[in-house]
Amino acid sequence: MSRKYLLLILAFGILLSVPSVIHDTFFLRIITEAILWIGLAISWDVLAGYTGYLNFGHGAFFGVGAYTTALLMKLCGWSFFFALPVAGVAAGIVALIAGIPTLRLKGAYFAIATWALSRAIQQVALVMDITGGPDGMRLPTFLHPEFFYYLMLAVVGGIFALYWFLLEKAPFGLKVKAIREDDQSAMSLGLNPTWIKLQAFILSAVPTGILGAIYAYWITYIDPASVLGDLVTDQAVVMAVFGGLGTLIGPAIGAIIIFLFKTYFWAYLSDYQVLYLIILGGVIASSVVFLPNGLWGTISGYLQTRKSSKQEPVSQGNSDKGAHHV
Amino acid sequence: MELLPQATIDGLLIGGIYITIAIGFSLAYGVMHIIDFAVGEWIMLGAFLGYYLNLWTVLDPFILLPAIFLVFSLIGYLVQPLVYRVISGKKGNPVLMGLVFTFGLALMFRGMALTGFGFYSHSIPSAISQDSFFLEMGSVFITVPYVRLAGLLYALAITLVLHFVLKKTDFGRAVRALSQHREASGLMGINAKRISSYVYGIYVGLSAMTGVIIGSIFTINAQMGGEYTILAFFIVVLAGMGYLAGVPWAAFLLGLVQSFFLIFLNPSYTLMAVFGILFTILLISPKGLFGRGV
Repeated sequence: MSRKYLLLILAFGILLSVPSVIHDTFFLRIITEAILWIGLAISWDVLAGYTGYLNFGHGAFFGVGAYTTALLMKLCGWSFFFALPVAGVAAGIVALIAGIPTLRLKGAYFAIATWALSRAIQQVALVMDITGGPDGMRLPTFLHPEFFYYLMLAVVGGIFALYWFLLEKAPFGLKVKAIREDDQSAMSLGLNPTWIKLQAFILSAVPTGILGAIYAYWITYIDPASVLGDLVTDQAVVMAVFGGLGTLIGPAIGAIIIFLFKTYFWAYLSDYQVLYLIILGGVIASSVVFLPNGLWGTISGYLQTRKSSKQEPVSQGNSDKGAHHV
Repeated sequence: MELLPQATIDGLLIGGIYITIAIGFSLAYGVMHIIDFAVGEWIMLGAFLGYYLNLWTVLDPFILLPAIFLVFSLIGYLVQPLVYRVISGKKGNPVLMGLVFTFGLALMFRGMALTGFGFYSHSIPSAISQDSFFLEMGSVFITVPYVRLAGLLYALAITLVLHFVLKKTDFGRAVRALSQHREASGLMGINAKRISSYVYGIYVGLSAMTGVIIGSIFTINAQMGGEYTILAFFIVVLAGMGYLAGVPWAAFLLGLVQSFFLIFLNPSYTLMAVFGILFTILLISPKGLFGRGV
């Protein structure tokens, strides 16, 4: 256990020292964006992997956060640090409203409704005058790559720690997993599935909105295609499914791999950008067929079986602890 | 208000086309309990096959329909075992995995279409595309394009044929038994795998054929899939998931919503209205307008 924490501290130390070692803004930007995608992938997984509800409108919450920040900073002249929490709250409110009717139902309805919601919000942003329509919005510029690197690191680190505590250490994690496995039995144990699912949805949406807010201020230009488009959702889904649903490390690994691939692909093969969609779709479909536990689930499952076959009759509880991923 | 009859007729004509999309979709859901996120992509691929066949053979798109149906039901028949493997898996949550799988398929198809067909919009001209007939009743004047009427007739014919097949044939009885109770129908000697493959094939074929009709009425492009996926979801949720008899009413309602927004309100808000209705239905009566869904 202590080795795990040591590794974690070491990794965090390396990440903290990155800006002082790498002075190339391009690389710093790539690393910042990779951290952003880790945040988006794990926040998607809270609902998909832990709770068993697929949110095919994750990009909508990202976009709501980004647009809230842009509107508050441009129209009301707010400072970024006041707009940031409001962006999170706005995403949370959208999740609350969308979640109340749909989370009572089976997962298929929820998947449909979130997908339709993201399309509807996209259309609203496209036709409204105040959001600039298809031209998008320009935010006050603040060119300071190191600032955004540290901010992103702190926020995503905070999100990771919060999820880790709530889902892996606190009773809340057991509650959502119980609902994922069988919500009838969970109900018979006195849990209120709809309320807990709603909490999980808000827990997934609020950080997504905050990440959207940081993204908007960092990139300084947002339009419906970049922050509300399907690509945000598509990529978060690929990262989490490929990495391994129902874990926090899996989607994070998936996010790093897919994001690095995307960066390489768009930098060197930019003539074939639409091929990227085929690859994303292919990775999702083939992960489902060949790697149903994702990359991390498969690796950790393999390590578990090797460990338990080596040291013969160890306590049973330990060996099936990590092997039960969705 | 003199536009009211015209808007109503338009809505009913458009709604008719949606029936065929949603019936196949609802049938596939009833038998396999799968929500296919690729439904709009099947429509788009069918439309493009129709477009290229029309360029190549110079035959009318309505004559090409059977060929398109054959090609795509074969594709559906061949793809289905893969879907079946995903949704009948032992590990994890198969329903969830089925959703993710079709979502991946949809992305892949969209990427392929954008690569292969480009970003431009096309239409599939039919011999009757240009003409319409007019109804005049006093001060009311209604235009009915022939091609839209043909689309509605096609949809009604398909609906009647499917109704006959489902109610009167052994295959139809097997399909209905399968959607009522999987295990019990297996005990009665119904081969669930094969029937599911046929149903999925029929559903894909119907969606592709409808794509061609859409191409001869409106325009088609490689990104049209998402819009039609939402419309199919809307109808199926409104009708009640898996409840076939509700589909035509929900489809006509959708057509009316669309044409009223187009004529009287701002068409840019149609999708918002569609979502609003969907949301209200889920809030009040999640089993659809008739309360008969699963």
